[in-house]
Amino acid sequence: MDNNKTYYGEFGGRFVSESLMNTLKEIDEAFEKAIKDESFLKEYHYYLKDYVGRETPLYFAKRLSEKYNTKIYLKREDLNHTGAHKINNVLGQILLAKKMGKKRVIAETGAGQHGVATATAAALFNMECKVFMGKEDIIRQAPNVMRMEMLGAEVVSVESGSNTLKDATNEAIRYWSKTAEDTFYIIGSAVGPYPYPKMVKEFQSCISREAKAQHLKAEGRNPDVVMACVGGGSNSIGMFAEFIDEKDVELIGVEAAGKGIDTDEHACVLSIDTSKLGTLHGMKSYLLQDENGNIKLAHSISAGLDYPGVGPEHSFLRDSKRATYVGITDKEAMEALKELTRLEGIIPAIESAHAIAYGIKKAKEMNKNQSMIICLSGRGDKDLNTITDYFAGKGYLN
Amino acid sequence: MSNRIEEKIKELNNKGEKAFITYITAGLPDMKVTKKLIKAKEMAGIDIIELGIPFSDPTADGPVIQQASYEALLAGADINKTFTLVEELRKENVIVPIIFMLYYNTILSMGIEKFIEKCNKSGVDGLIIPDLPFEEQGKINAALAKNDETILIQLISPLSEDRIPMITENARGFIYLVSSMGVTGQSANFHKEIVNYIKKVKKASKIPVMMGFGIRTPKDLENVSDIIDGAIVGSHFINILRESDFNINVATEYIKDFKYQINHM
Repeated sequence: MDNNKTYYGEFGGRFVSESLMNTLKEIDEAFEKAIKDESFLKEYHYYLKDYVGRETPLYFAKRLSEKYNTKIYLKREDLNHTGAHKINNVLGQILLAKKMGKKRVIAETGAGQHGVATATAAALFNMECKVFMGKEDIIRQAPNVMRMEMLGAEVVSVESGSNTLKDATNEAIRYWSKTAEDTFYIIGSAVGPYPYPKMVKEFQSCISREAKAQHLKAEGRNPDVVMACVGGGSNSIGMFAEFIDEKDVELIGVEAAGKGIDTDEHACVLSIDTSKLGTLHGMKSYLLQDENGNIKLAHSISAGLDYPGVGPEHSFLRDSKRATYVGITDKEAMEALKELTRLEGIIPAIESAHAIAYGIKKAKEMNKNQSMIICLSGRGDKDLNTITDYFAGKGYLN
Repeated sequence: MSNRIEEKIKELNNKGEKAFITYITAGLPDMKVTKKLIKAKEMAGIDIIELGIPFSDPTADGPVIQQASYEALLAGADINKTFTLVEELRKENVIVPIIFMLYYNTILSMGIEKFIEKCNKSGVDGLIIPDLPFEEQGKINAALAKNDETILIQLISPLSEDRIPMITENARGFIYLVSSMGVTGQSANFHKEIVNYIKKVKKASKIPVMMGFGIRTPKDLENVSDIIDGAIVGSHFINILRESDFNINVATEYIKDFKYQINHM
């Protein structure tokens, strides 16, 4: 395989142990073949439609638009089966795993959404499933742990390092390097060694393929702005995909600024001036790290944005100035969550509320004839405890 | 100037001896003890020392080295202090070859050129970078090519198969043959095709092949001792150190015994 194709500019690559190199090559070959294979695509799209419930609506948020004086459309990924965009990618990867003859799938999860999606698909396709989850997250996200176990997955508690998503990912990689011969690792975000960032983008690009056509139908043109929240960057890369070559469309990624980017407690990798390049989880990209290259802990009220790195293509999109990245604090996100709930009757996931919050800020620079699409990546059901505690002034676990 | 690892290999070849290599984590429990251990290991007749640089996310390591790495970081160990340690050891006439085992981000963080310069100057003879496979080695090789003082050690795994010729072709020092799938410290659970696998690597390699991962005692090597050129012990050596509260005599005895037995099997 030509090593250049594994990179987005200087980002990406395959920074894994030698024992995984042939595995990555096999996955790449199977993936490239599958996405050109009519019968694979037919099966994938069948499940997206009849199982997940696609296409999802592009909803014109009338009251929000009136209040902020510009057209705001919401891409309703929250209406997918399992409650978020994660299932789009999981179905693609599990069909690939099946095609490759693997018997077991594994996944890492932070908030539990990717774990639930993987456990769901594993039940559907009758595959053994192990989900690695940090000990802290198992406590924070108890309902999702129950869902995964009910679906027949084994949830493995990870008790090393910081006990969160980063460590769950480390442990999944370790387990994978032992078992790659019969195990497929379903990575949930647009991160990891090549071809994972490309696969995740491919399987999430249904978001922008639909949204582009839906917006064209409603407005007769492209939107002015497209926006999504960014943790590792899967819903955002899916939301951007079809618009990257449409240079008149402004692309904005919204990171979690936690308690503020001037504090040590945030998850902003791209929206700061001091981004530092490094390697983690098989990829070269911008990462939160200390002066010795040890990875720092990310902080956000949202477990899904709480990741100290970002997918390599996002690093490339930022440095090539095709997309801009901004930060939204916990407080701003929670206010936006309340606003959307009260104005539109939609309780968003806290992750997605970050994109809504910046959408409201951005609207102030726009006029009533312009339009933006915000990816509403997930629903807020999983966050009810966090939301209630936050507004009751009790703070939250993190 | 030539390379200490390659000099050692020549010496072992001349004597017809198999090599014994052990791993320790730099700064566990502190740099003073690490220094004492390295000196004691040299005295005990160790051939090469693998010195682990602690990292926050050691994905190629099992629980023992993860924990060692974590504790060393908490105790304040870092790459600069480890360079200082090696520099001091060289000044104190320690000549045993020292290989840094570290993750690529530690190098990137310092800058490749600066890092290699520091290796050359302080007396680090080799590098093992478990998350830097052959295809990603271009940049570091360019920096290493300037002189012979520091070399990159190549790893081969049971799944390397068709990659073996490519990896062994220009490899230097020795080949680090990973005995099993997965991470360090999985207790003698070698790959099911271990003998054929080693033979394949031996056939392709012009330099000695040392086996590591999951080795605890010379007995673990019964079936392979004829074909390998040396053994590397990591996790188990850390366990021995911990159990004896970092007793130098226990470490010395273990090394002497292993080195003797591996050459008399």
